[in-house]
Amino acid sequence: MTTSAHNTYSNIKSNLQVFLVSVATITVAFSILGLFLVIFVNLNSFLTTWSEKVQLVVYLEDEITDGQKQSLEQLISANSDVESMTFISKDAAWANFKNTFSSTKSDFIDDLKYNPLPSSYNLKFKPSSDRFVRIREFADLFKRRQGVESVEYGETWLGAFEKFMLFIRIFLLAVGGLLGLGLILIISNTIKLSFYARQEEIELMLLIGATPNFVRVPFMIEGMFQGLLGGIFALALIKSLQLYIKVQFQGSLQSIARGMEFQFISQPLILGLLASALFIGWVGSFIAIQKFLSSGNTK
Amino acid sequence: MIQLFNVGKSYGGVAPALIDITFSVKKGEFIFLTGPSGAGKTTLLKILYRTEKYDQGQVLVHGMNIGKIPDRKLYTLRREIGFVFQDYKLLAKKNVFENVAFAQEVIGANKKRIRFKTWEALKNVGLTHKKDSYPQQLSGGEQQRVAIARALVNSPKIILADEPTGNLDPEISIEILKLFEHAKKAGVTVVFATHDQDMIRSRNHRVVVIKRGQLVNP
Ligand SMILES: Nc1ncnc2c1ncn2[C@@H]1O[C@H](COP(=O)(O)OP(=O)(O)O)[C@@H](O)[C@H]1O
Ligand SMILES: [Mg+2]
Repeated sequence: MTTSAHNTYSNIKSNLQVFLVSVATITVAFSILGLFLVIFVNLNSFLTTWSEKVQLVVYLEDEITDGQKQSLEQLISANSDVESMTFISKDAAWANFKNTFSSTKSDFIDDLKYNPLPSSYNLKFKPSSDRFVRIREFADLFKRRQGVESVEYGETWLGAFEKFMLFIRIFLLAVGGLLGLGLILIISNTIKLSFYARQEEIELMLLIGATPNFVRVPFMIEGMFQGLLGGIFALALIKSLQLYIKVQFQGSLQSIARGMEFQFISQPLILGLLASALFIGWVGSFIAIQKFLSSGNTK
Repeated sequence: MIQLFNVGKSYGGVAPALIDITFSVKKGEFIFLTGPSGAGKTTLLKILYRTEKYDQGQVLVHGMNIGKIPDRKLYTLRREIGFVFQDYKLLAKKNVFENVAFAQEVIGANKKRIRFKTWEALKNVGLTHKKDSYPQQLSGGEQQRVAIARALVNSPKIILADEPTGNLDPEISIEILKLFEHAKKAGVTVVFATHDQDMIRSRNHRVVVIKRGQLVNP
């Protein structure tokens, strides 16, 4: 292990410039990816904050019986996702309505001889990441119930939101995948150069009884080290950018939505990013070395 | 113990490099492998070291069929054998001590052992006073001694030497030969390729002669 570390060190030293260029490239690529991630995370939390207001409203038919009402209430109280339920009677709804439009008092409302509004249950849901799916499923349950006139939960808006987030996810995956592929090529190229710089020595190693792993490990460490360094630099870069934006724009952000904050990517995402940096370094160097070992072992 | 049975090898040229070679070398034996230039001596040694593959026959080293060793396991064979290359193959960027120690490093020996074994090997070839020199600062004979020290430092059971005295003066050649004979006394099997007939006549070792890829009686 100590010899491997030492060999890695002398590999890097003998090829420092190439190593640094490679690390810089990895840093840039991961910064791009990280930036997208930060945007995604913030967009997600922003839209989630907004969508907190989403409620499921179950409108009831005027002819609904007490028994039907009871069974609906049972259904609601059986669902653990529901945070609160408010019953709004026809009269309350009407009063509410009139209240809201009192400033634009129109004769039309006063002229109405009967109350056109239905009574309803207003349901609030506990926050969770798949809340929308659950709301939709729950809403579908009501549609088929007797005594229910209609349900409403801003389905068009929710659908668009979900589609948008799905699109962003796919986009991120594609960008991440492409960047990853590019980085693997770059790293494998750097390792190849590092290899050629010491070709004579490596061939001699294999010739006088080194195991393939003995030759491989220092280069694998070098590749992973490159990836890790690039990943760390990229994270530092994004973090400082995020701090800057936070200081500059926190005020205006607060005015858009109270309690909103410009966020950094979460800890699991950070770890994931670093792990993929390591993995990319591992794959890149593995490819480079495998080519060499399989062609150069018997010569 | 080295055994060759009907070994044949062709590089694809007009005539094969080796034809139907059968002979064996006993454990602890010293043999001269000789023949004119282009006879196939290097090819034969390379086959024993598996840096070249053979087309026909079988080769056993310590009973191990070396044609069957997969590439990733080749190091097991190479660790049994010390090879002294015709062109020395010393690393220019390493000094004498580091060149010899290199053979210990690649088999993963610890630092203390590397220092001890390297020192011992340099002492055996009489080069301790040059341990800090670099290859290009050494004479041909001295470089050859470094190469021999490196081949011996891992205490191999077999030494294959490809014309180790090819470019050296007669007196120095005999000194080099004595190093191999010293190893033989310690129980190492030695195959010594040379076309120096005077050297061969000055000793009583068994002689294997090949001409145009075929064994001939000496
Ligand atoms: N790598 C090679 N490719 C093609 N032909 C070769 C190669 N190595 C050796 N030969 C041929 O094989 C024959 C034996 O060569 P070699 O084993 O080097 O002989 P020696 O060591 O006895 O001088 C020669 O005719 C030589 O030209
Ligand atoms: Mg030769």
